[in-house]
Amino acid sequence: MTTATVTNNQTNPPIKKRGKWSKMGRRFVRNRWAMTGMFLLMLAVVSALFAPVIAPSTPDKADLRARLVAPSWMDDTGKSEYLLGTDQVGRDLLSRIIYGARISLLVGVVSVLISLVIGVILGLIAGFYGRWVDDLLMRLADVQLAFPFILFAIIVMTVFGAGLWKLILVLGISNWVGFARLVRGQVMSVKEMEYVQAAKAIGATNLRIIRKHVLPNVSSSIIVLATLNVATNILLEASLTFIGLGVDPSIPTWGGMLADGRNYLETAWWVATFPGIAIMITVFGINLLGDWLRDELDPNLRV
Amino acid sequence: MKKKVGITACSALLVLAAALGGCSSKPADTSTQANPQPKTEAQAPAKNELTLGVNGDPHSWDPIDTFLLDWSTVATSVFEGLVERTTDLKIQPGLAESWEFKDDKTLQFKLRKGVTFHNGEPFNAEAVKFTFDRLLGEEGKKGPQQANYASIDRVEVVDEFTVNMILKEKDPVLITKLAGYGAVIVPPKYYKEKGDEYFNTHPVGTGPFKMDSYEKDSKVVLVKNETYWKQGQPKLEKVTFRFIPEATTRLAEMQTGAIDIMKKVEISQTESIKGMSDLELMQVGSPTVYSIRFNTSMKPVDNVKVREAIAYAIDADLIIETLLGGYGKRVNSFQSDMSFGYDPNLPLRNYDPEKAKQLLAEAGVKEGTELDLFLPGTDATFKEVAQAIEMQLGQVGLKVKLNLVDSSTFTSDLIPKGKAGHMYRNGWGGWTLDFDNTAYLMYHKGEFWNPDFHDEKVEELLKAERSTFDQEKRLAAFKELNQRLYELVPDVPLYQTINLWAANKRVKGFQPPADERIDLREVSVE
Amino acid sequence: MAAFLIRRLLHSVFVVLAITLVIFVLVRMTGDPVSIMFQAGEPTKEAITELRKNLGLDEPVYVQFGLYLKDMFTGNFGTSFRTGESVIDMMKEKMGATLLLAFGGMFVALLIAIPVGIISAVYRGSVADFFGRIFSLLGISFPNFWLGIMLIIIFAVKLGWFPASGYEGLEYLVLPSVALGLILSGILARLVRSSMLEVMNQQYINTARSKGIKEWLVIIKHGLRNALIPTVTFIGLQFGTLLGGTVIIEQVFSWPGIGRMLIDAISQRDFPVIQGSVIILSFLMIFVNLLVDISYGFIDPRIRQEGGKSE
Repeated sequence: MTTATVTNNQTNPPIKKRGKWSKMGRRFVRNRWAMTGMFLLMLAVVSALFAPVIAPSTPDKADLRARLVAPSWMDDTGKSEYLLGTDQVGRDLLSRIIYGARISLLVGVVSVLISLVIGVILGLIAGFYGRWVDDLLMRLADVQLAFPFILFAIIVMTVFGAGLWKLILVLGISNWVGFARLVRGQVMSVKEMEYVQAAKAIGATNLRIIRKHVLPNVSSSIIVLATLNVATNILLEASLTFIGLGVDPSIPTWGGMLADGRNYLETAWWVATFPGIAIMITVFGINLLGDWLRDELDPNLRV
Repeated sequence: MKKKVGITACSALLVLAAALGGCSSKPADTSTQANPQPKTEAQAPAKNELTLGVNGDPHSWDPIDTFLLDWSTVATSVFEGLVERTTDLKIQPGLAESWEFKDDKTLQFKLRKGVTFHNGEPFNAEAVKFTFDRLLGEEGKKGPQQANYASIDRVEVVDEFTVNMILKEKDPVLITKLAGYGAVIVPPKYYKEKGDEYFNTHPVGTGPFKMDSYEKDSKVVLVKNETYWKQGQPKLEKVTFRFIPEATTRLAEMQTGAIDIMKKVEISQTESIKGMSDLELMQVGSPTVYSIRFNTSMKPVDNVKVREAIAYAIDADLIIETLLGGYGKRVNSFQSDMSFGYDPNLPLRNYDPEKAKQLLAEAGVKEGTELDLFLPGTDATFKEVAQAIEMQLGQVGLKVKLNLVDSSTFTSDLIPKGKAGHMYRNGWGGWTLDFDNTAYLMYHKGEFWNPDFHDEKVEELLKAERSTFDQEKRLAAFKELNQRLYELVPDVPLYQTINLWAANKRVKGFQPPADERIDLREVSVE
Repeated sequence: MAAFLIRRLLHSVFVVLAITLVIFVLVRMTGDPVSIMFQAGEPTKEAITELRKNLGLDEPVYVQFGLYLKDMFTGNFGTSFRTGESVIDMMKEKMGATLLLAFGGMFVALLIAIPVGIISAVYRGSVADFFGRIFSLLGISFPNFWLGIMLIIIFAVKLGWFPASGYEGLEYLVLPSVALGLILSGILARLVRSSMLEVMNQQYINTARSKGIKEWLVIIKHGLRNALIPTVTFIGLQFGTLLGGTVIIEQVFSWPGIGRMLIDAISQRDFPVIQGSVIILSFLMIFVNLLVDISYGFIDPRIRQEGGKSE
């Protein structure tokens, strides 16, 4: 859901870039939190990239007669050949979780990219044109914020039907406000600065101002916000499946597996538990990273 | 690392719960000190009180405004019709003691004497006339029930306990319909005094229980009707229905003992119920049949060979055995075996992938042809069935794409407009237990549920079946109709459902109803 | 101040109107309520036309919208298609339960976040800080329906400490509040921690310490009090998220609130109920944010001046 960011409109003098990033890199390696986060996230990323190599089977190979088979390490009869057991239509759970990383990361990352693009563009427009354009866009942001996201999603999915890309789009178009506000605030303060005025006077284009003065200063906040939003969106996918608006169940998504497996909790706990753990590990990893990034990049919070 | 995280999470939750437990128990303690009575009462539930967990709240109790099964589960205990249907779906006298056709268009009822509504108002011919005037008049127009009773013209009072029902046209299933929702008898004086809106939330009927309180989306409490016309009934003093939409939560409430009877046990939950010694899993055959219907105007399923191939490629027996855990029954047509018109001699198409492949080849369907299958996203069990179908059709070279949609959009927009892909799930109850209802709505050209299928022979047989009261002739027409539909394959009948209920063993005399209308008159608790 | 208030009020009016328009158009895209009401029957064409007329759906959409706006300004949000009940009455009936849950969630969030945040900040880098941070991040790593189900299974079924669902008394509020509040507590604990860190380094804290005031008193009296300001603002901003979260939590815990009413209304295409409740919910959110803005403006006059710019 929309995390309204408290913007830091105060102008930071342009920072010397190279030094900043490389120092950060060194601090990253020394930071246990960040490394742990990266490690957890990499589990998902590697699964997503090399799924066909790692996965013992394909995610859609099903055998109704072998449904809800227990994980091999807890099966006393020794018949189970599935490390994490099988799901409710007899597919190998481990393979589905590995392939599921692709979908879950796709949902999280692409939807945030959409929000980011919309937000940055609208933020720039609002900031540069000011006046009524700004007013209008900011009121639009208010409308977006005041409209409960989950209801917006339910209504849109009811109208257009469920589906992976529709889901990504819905998540994408309802989370742009935070980005827009960040960028707008930065544009507004940069615009007033003398050296920018001067640059403008000698004929610098808006594009150049954006590149030189706006984006470098907000990029860190944007990265933080984007990271945290990826985590939220992965969770929202699960919630939408819970109310019956998720994606096609043959597509392996962690959220879908978790929601569809909830009725088997007591008789075949693995069906829901392992996807749940996959979500938890990944989201936790992303949050660890995001948290560290925030400490690093958002000067307001750095003590 | 993983392990550590898990333990941390658990311990954090425990600490948290303990903290909350500490602060929430305070008010409870003080109330116990002030008045020690309630706590003991809560521990040992008072005798003859029953709590049921049901899935949905119908929101309006007015019988002519509803078509929801959720309504009938509760309202059957509050309202009664002239005739009633037993738990195993047989017709028996209700508020009418007897009835007979005076002529083709006049149906006379002798009413039960000495019955009163919950508010003390007497039940008599006036009440019956008022009920049908309301149903068939302006008031009824606003609701979905009027259409079911279109064959009735009016009701005339003969004397205080006799009425004549004058018909517009023949209706072979009228008596069954009179056990339906819209025809339950409502109190004229009460309704006129209190108004429609008040009646919605404070219903009054002649049933074994009267509504004591209703909290929307939370619960409804019924108390015994002391003056109920059937001697010695009901046995319970108080019945509470709690509305619990999430199946996981309903099961949890069953396990904690907070509810005594659970409606709609999911097939995935059956093992949990069986695993508890104080609970009993109960099953009842339901008239609802699930099938995969085709859009017969869409390529390639406009070709009967393709439809037949799909019927052979789906292994319904395996689906029932595994996904449904045996809680389902094969059917040969789009009706249950309880339906008048079901022909047990009609053959089943058994799983035969080779034959399917051959038929597809004959029809010139290429390997990898894509087909859309539509289903509602909230049906957990059918989601699994659909995945099995996707896999089985995949084995004969058809690529199925599953489309999950909102169930209201699905039934009110996509299906009737022919926009539900090549195939879609359809579940139908045929509530009159007569194939007429299903067959007409599904196969008659231009019906809401049938945007594309048309066959002259089918139309003829439907007409034949409707134009007579002679059940022999109708059965013959249905037999021929079944045969014709078997050849044309407008749908692949999959299974007849079995509804699952769970009951605490302290509940006695409870029979799970096939039509979700619970009869609580004989139920008691230990 | 007056100018700022008027400006903000005008904005709010605009936003409410815009939301009204959006929801009005959106619900009309979800399909025809009439065909849903007739689903099980065999309606005649006349019956359908008649019902549509009765519900006011036969007019062009812009006329319907005009009429709706007109009614809205007199405080009339129409009546439910399904039950004929007035939407305002339905809202009144449900609002209590939802607000109770939202406040319950908020209470849980604060109850966890404040101690966790303070301990993390005061003993920065210690084991307590370590667990505190893990906890606050784990809190936001579960889907909330899952958390709800797990709480029910652990604390209602296995341990029997709390009722699993329903709406009868205070003990029924515990599990849903935890499910709702835990997620927020993660974010809040983080915020309290960083605000505390910031405040504890200020000059006046050192001054207080040098006066020989007990450390815990310094923390509570000088540290926490100042650190709470951003926390309170944040809570205001998160109120909407919290209300949105109740939609799912109410479903899991059979809580009779607005969220459940809305999900039902959407599936039954009960337009007036969907419209009315979305508008009133949004109104509530705008109102809370306005309150936060204003109170913040009183606390810190600098923000008031910047109000137009940085809201």
